[in-house]
Amino acid sequence: MDPIRRSLLGQLARLSAGAALVPLSSVANAGINQQPPRREGDPTKRYGMLIDLRQCIGCQACTVSCHIENAAPLGSFRTTVAQYEVEHQETGEVATFMLPRLCNHCENPPCVPVCPVEATFQRQDGIVVVDSDRCVGCAYCVNACPYDARFINERTQTADKCTFCAHRLEAGLLPACVESCVGGARIIGDMRDPASQISRMISEHGDELMVLQPEKHTMPQVFYLGMDERFVTRPHAEPVALEVLDPHGKEMGYEFHH
Amino acid sequence: MNSTIELLAPRYDIAWYPWAVQYFFMIALSYATLWLAAPALVFGKQKWLPTARLALLACLATTLLAPVALLADLHQPLRFWHFYAYANTHSWMSVGSLILPLYVVGVIVLTWLAWRPALQANRQAPGIAGFISRWLSLGDSPTPPVLLVLVGLSTLVFSTGIMLYTGAEVAIVKARPLWNTVWLPPMFVATGFIAAAGLILLLNRVMGERCTVVSGQMLKVMLGACLVAGLVAGSWFLDGINADVGSVAAAMESVRGSAEWRSTALWGGLTGVALFGAVLYLLTRPAPRRPALYAWAWLLGLVALHVGWMFRWVVLMDVQTVARHSAGFHHYGIPAGSSGILGIVGTFGLWLAVILLIDLFVPWRQARQGGSATDVSPGHAVTQNAANTTEGVSSHG
Ligand code: SF4
Ligand code: SF4
Ligand code: SF4
Repeated sequence: MDPIRRSLLGQLARLSAGAALVPLSSVANAGINQQPPRREGDPTKRYGMLIDLRQCIGCQACTVSCHIENAAPLGSFRTTVAQYEVEHQETGEVATFMLPRLCNHCENPPCVPVCPVEATFQRQDGIVVVDSDRCVGCAYCVNACPYDARFINERTQTADKCTFCAHRLEAGLLPACVESCVGGARIIGDMRDPASQISRMISEHGDELMVLQPEKHTMPQVFYLGMDERFVTRPHAEPVALEVLDPHGKEMGYEFHH
Repeated sequence: MNSTIELLAPRYDIAWYPWAVQYFFMIALSYATLWLAAPALVFGKQKWLPTARLALLACLATTLLAPVALLADLHQPLRFWHFYAYANTHSWMSVGSLILPLYVVGVIVLTWLAWRPALQANRQAPGIAGFISRWLSLGDSPTPPVLLVLVGLSTLVFSTGIMLYTGAEVAIVKARPLWNTVWLPPMFVATGFIAAAGLILLLNRVMGERCTVVSGQMLKVMLGACLVAGLVAGSWFLDGINADVGSVAAAMESVRGSAEWRSTALWGGLTGVALFGAVLYLLTRPAPRRPALYAWAWLLGLVALHVGWMFRWVVLMDVQTVARHSAGFHHYGIPAGSSGILGIVGTFGLWLAVILLIDLFVPWRQARQGGSATDVSPGHAVTQNAANTTEGVSSHG
């Protein structure tokens, strides 16, 4: 359809009976659904992560170490490394692109205001956590996170997600995924401290850094270096699902295969 | 980079289970039937009384069942009291958890007030029905109609809150572009009214009322609701056709990318148009032919219920299978257990049980806008209720 006709149709729609609804939507999103005040955590810090994709070899060491450290149930992950087979447009050369994913500890996290009991909250150091004693398991936050960073832990029946390994940070340790990363691709640190490695790398690489789905206005605080723009939003990929079964024929997981 | 193939991505389960569909369906039937009971019971329009009696029965049963389904969708149902201990105003779900009990209590009180004169008239009935009547009617003081009007009005206000919160709760989720549209809440309401009119058509038949006036009124409501639904769907489509992102764009992408979505869209469109056409046909027949044709309106009632339920299933379940962050769709098969088929069947079964119990023991057919026992012709009440009881017993035996 040509653009003029399209915009004419759009105008028509706005003129139609429901035009009155449009201002209502801003009430739904603004008045209600605003970020509650942050609580707990050190207000002098702001944790963030930088992932240097040039160093990632897709070994999944982070996936495994996080799984062990945080005792996630089989089949649920706080972090994974998505792998894509890409083909060069001209040369036809084939390569693999790796994309480690975890919670972005967004500056404007949509998962927080939706929580009906404030079990999900953002600490003053920016880390988004779940109080599993309070969580009612309504899964609203799981649906509200655009990054699939959350899941319902089938053992605790409450929401679960990456915590930047806050328990390790507090003990002066690095998160499990950072510690185990073979190429040193994951850098975590306090972005309010100008001397930290992450602050230095952010000022050094500035414009080259990218975040996932910036158009969602969540302001992710996990930055990617060496990212291809085409992977920032949902990639135009063709998955072929293949169910992975255990020896008893029970489904263990999914693999996209070509 | 020409083609990309996603080699490895974990499987993401859906987070809201079919219980959510049951809740959204039951609560929509509940608020819509309340509004269909309102003309007679709240605003005193006698012509609507037969409809109101059926609507009130449907409304009470769905109102009692909806919170059960809602609770079942929580992974920690025993912690429901956290909703009240940690209530807050920035979550639509929390706002909803505050409105819902007010609404449920409102409906229960309204129903009680409407049934009370008949319960009082029924106190001498033999057996359990009489016992229940004596116990439930709480004395024989008259029920002032103005009380019904007041309770009715406030419950209508709460029901608007329910419409608003159930819609907004889903529509604000930016992470699921298909949900994130202002047109979703009005569509929930419109399809809710379609289904509610259908339910009353069906009850009109299975409860043995077979009242032509009820059929005519419900067909008109259904026609109106279909028109509104069509208008909302059209506006949604035209409003979004300009944008590269958003609800319509996401829908187009899904329809393009999946044969299942294509057939769902086709089925939804065709059923909606067919329903609208059939209702229009029935309503435009010459008056003498109508009673014969209206006897079949319950079939349209079934179609209408299907439309209301399917819409919620597609919106709440199918949309969750659209991958947000990786490619394609996540497979979801309805599990057989209580979080799947058993849950769906169970909710409907429980609902039916509630209807049957009410029908056995409560003279719901004499619901009225307050008054006292003498307003209800006592002989009529007793015989009719006795007839119901024997009917129930014999069909059991
Ligand atoms: S990535 Fe998801 S879970 Fe993490 S803060 Fe952002 S919205 Fe919340
Ligand atoms: S699942 Fe738990 S943390 Fe998430 S929104 Fe519900 S109560 Fe809050
Ligand atoms: S920071 Fe900790 S919880 Fe988060 S992905 Fe790394 S290991 Fe897992």
